[in-house]
Amino acid sequence: MKRRNDTLLIVLTALSAVLVMIALYLALVGAPDANLQSETGRYAQRIIYFHIATAWVGFLAFFVTFVGGVGYLRTQARKWDIVALSSAEIGTVFMLGVLVSGSIWAKPAWGVWWVWDERLTISLIQFLVYVGYLMLRSSVEDPARRARFAAVYGVVAFISVPINFIAIRLWRTQHPLIFGSEEGGLGPNMMFAFFFCLITFTIWYVTLMWHRIRLERSRDQVEALKQKIMG
Amino acid sequence: MGYLVAAYAVLWAISFGLVFSIVLRQRKLDSDVQMLRVMVEDEPRARD
Repeated sequence: MKRRNDTLLIVLTALSAVLVMIALYLALVGAPDANLQSETGRYAQRIIYFHIATAWVGFLAFFVTFVGGVGYLRTQARKWDIVALSSAEIGTVFMLGVLVSGSIWAKPAWGVWWVWDERLTISLIQFLVYVGYLMLRSSVEDPARRARFAAVYGVVAFISVPINFIAIRLWRTQHPLIFGSEEGGLGPNMMFAFFFCLITFTIWYVTLMWHRIRLERSRDQVEALKQKIMG
Repeated sequence: MGYLVAAYAVLWAISFGLVFSIVLRQRKLDSDVQMLRVMVEDEPRARD
């Protein structure tokens, strides 16, 4: 069973790598140019394929952290804590990617690296909230208390996801609205590349989760063996 | 063009940073498990 799982994980990892390469090709070459005047703007527009897919993974990961937190609070089962922790770590890293790539896109599009508008500020706060989640975990010694505190924190922190998602609809922010607007959306020819990136990043997230959960199980194994030796 | 390269380079660096961190931690834990297993197996023999 373990060997079969290991083989599946290798296949999934290889598949993810191939899909990421194809997504990269589509984002950089395959997708048509945006209907923009400046050459710099047209190049910069290609950032959004990975930027949005990265943001999607961040939101998905924080949702899974929320589910893991609820699962842990209901059952006190370690597996839910592992899911929540693994997903929070991946989500935080991806949110960092969103902030940095968004900032690089903003420079040619808006002329500045950063503006304190609602969407960007909420994204930064959200990133810091999940950095706080990871710091909280590392600051509590007792595993049961750590898991309980983290579960409550992960459930409450999830509120930042819907707020972030609806921010561009609630307030008139500078951040473009990709869906649900007449202007600033993607043309039909860009949609294929966009959804391909979205699906690829979802598979990439599943692969990372599998690896990260495996890591945490190994950590538990080490702890169990240490306990056995100590008596 | 420079912004495009920079954005994708940063995204790749962040993703691979995460992957390498997971791989390194997994390797360390695998070697710990191996070592501890040997210690657990040797313990009854040492008592005898």
